[in-house]
Amino acid sequence: MSTTVTPAATLSSASASIASRRSVSIATILKWLVAICVAIVAVFPIWWMFNVVFSHPGVPISINPRLYPTSLSAGLNNILTIFTETDYLRAYYVSVMYTLLTIIGILLFSSMAAFEFAQFQFPGKNLLFGIVMISLMVPKAVTIIPTYLLTVQLGWLNTMQGLVVPGLASAFGLFMLIQFMKSIPAEMIEAARLDGANHFQIYWHVAIPLSKNALITLAILTFMSTWGNYIWPLIVAPSPTMYTVGQVVGLFNAPYSHTTVDIVMTANLLAAVPPLIFFLIFQRQIVEGIAHSGTKG
Amino acid sequence: MSSLQISNAAKAYGAVPILDNINLDIASGEFVVFVGPSGCGKSTLLRMISGLEDITAGEMRLDDRVINHVDPAKRGIAMVFQSYALYPHLTVFENMAFSLTMARAPMAERKEKVERAAEILRLTHLLDRRPAQLSGGQKQRVAIGRAIVRQPKVFLFDEPLSNLDAELRVQMRAELIQLHQRLRATMIYVTHDQVEAMTLADKIVVLNGGRIQQVGRPLDLYDDPDNKFVAGFIGTPTMNFLSARVKDVAADHIVVSGLGGDTAAAGLVIPFAGFDPSIREIQLGIRPEHATIAIDPASAEGLAAKVTLVEELGDLTSVHTVLANGERLVAQNHGRRHSGAIETVVRIAADKALVFDMAGQRLRPAKA
Repeated sequence: MSTTVTPAATLSSASASIASRRSVSIATILKWLVAICVAIVAVFPIWWMFNVVFSHPGVPISINPRLYPTSLSAGLNNILTIFTETDYLRAYYVSVMYTLLTIIGILLFSSMAAFEFAQFQFPGKNLLFGIVMISLMVPKAVTIIPTYLLTVQLGWLNTMQGLVVPGLASAFGLFMLIQFMKSIPAEMIEAARLDGANHFQIYWHVAIPLSKNALITLAILTFMSTWGNYIWPLIVAPSPTMYTVGQVVGLFNAPYSHTTVDIVMTANLLAAVPPLIFFLIFQRQIVEGIAHSGTKG
Repeated sequence: MSSLQISNAAKAYGAVPILDNINLDIASGEFVVFVGPSGCGKSTLLRMISGLEDITAGEMRLDDRVINHVDPAKRGIAMVFQSYALYPHLTVFENMAFSLTMARAPMAERKEKVERAAEILRLTHLLDRRPAQLSGGQKQRVAIGRAIVRQPKVFLFDEPLSNLDAELRVQMRAELIQLHQRLRATMIYVTHDQVEAMTLADKIVVLNGGRIQQVGRPLDLYDDPDNKFVAGFIGTPTMNFLSARVKDVAADHIVVSGLGGDTAAAGLVIPFAGFDPSIREIQLGIRPEHATIAIDPASAEGLAAKVTLVEELGDLTSVHTVLANGERLVAQNHGRRHSGAIETVVRIAADKALVFDMAGQRLRPAKA
């Protein structure tokens, strides 16, 4: 039996295919539009900072505004002004040390505790793990005052240890590493034991290298939360000698600050540079880390 | 090379007994295989020897030194795990040298020992690779190499071939035999595969339910098992067991009847000196190679059977049958194909039949 195809049928099938192609195209265009809008909202403030810093004063906000930088020398001059006339470099040092020490401390303590929780049995293990889980559910705002009072009693106001030490007990870090280290086969630990490795050597030579990905993720998330931490340094290190970058930027942005907008923007830009560089280097790991841990730090 | 003695060893997790009354003598340079079904305690016994599991009771001596409470690393024992347990972040060289690195041995010594072990195992060209870049057989050889480098008194193998495919398993089995001959080391090997046990062992230890069932040379266990469990576990296809009544007891033989529920058939004469006449019910153990399908069922004498399954392996044919009383019997034809008949007759080599009491213990003829 043969089938005759009428011109009308051909026409209707063609128009259906065009319609479906058109509907796909519209969906794609809409998606792109939304993505571009989100990208503009995210990128524009950073671009505007560049624009204001690297332009002659007043140009970006004149009657005839420019959306692109016009003067490299004006920008460099702004940066020089910030570094020479304020304690910005000291704040950088404090922030970098605060962030680095917090990352190192959290990785060290969390990984050691996680190794024990994940691979060994000890009395009170479940109770202790339960306490860790409960502490994950308590908002930081609830614990900040008692932690502050304890820090004051220890005489750690305006000190690096006051900034760093209270943040080293990371319930989130511990939880994340426990889940990861549970996947290390017990036979591997036993093999190391038979090979003569002591407890610390098993941790250092077997557990740590095998948890590298989780440790990188935790380091990234810790960097993001510590560099951007404003409240804790504000209350525990009120002395200008211990200001972090965040606090200094806060001063520039204060209502009675007499600095011009280009200087304020330069301070903001300098504060944003380390996370930007960090993000560009670790982009893939950050996205994977957020996807794996279900958090954005 | 070292000897190992285990006396009255037991293991329990709380109130749950896992192993009981384990007594074993392993001579220096011997290749001993622990074999048994899953959950029989063979791996636990191996882990007790390694020190990874505590011993609940009894004593273990390695070269006359009690090792019950000696740290695993200081027992002079190396273990090859089922999963290989190679460190994925280290190269083959670093994996094999791990114990020496932990002991802070000089680099020259590490290099010398690893290279010697690599040469024995043909791994020299793989020393820079990581475990992920190796095949299953190569990984297994690296795991063995890691054990060799430690120059242990005793090698322990925990089902090391079970992750390999059938062909590679046969090849690795041959390599292990060669390795044992070359090193002349004491080796203890755990498997649930009785073919591995038969081919590798100088001595097999059959375990079931946490107890040693029998210890002996592979063919001794095959020919002269102590009980139904050992008789059934050693040998493929497994031994046939048929219940029978003792009809007559003579000085050098017994006559049994009722085999397969065939009450009309004449009794089967089984050579057996000194049979206890008070025993009336027994079980006969017949290996499949001692049961054959009659060529002409119409005129042959034997047990009437119905064929349920035929396994043609080329050189031999296993014919699964069911007897009149529902008991199953596997017969084998060597070099002869099955005719396709459903109703058939199985002939039993009575002089090869083993006699067991109803509790499953072997009844042995009195020695002349």
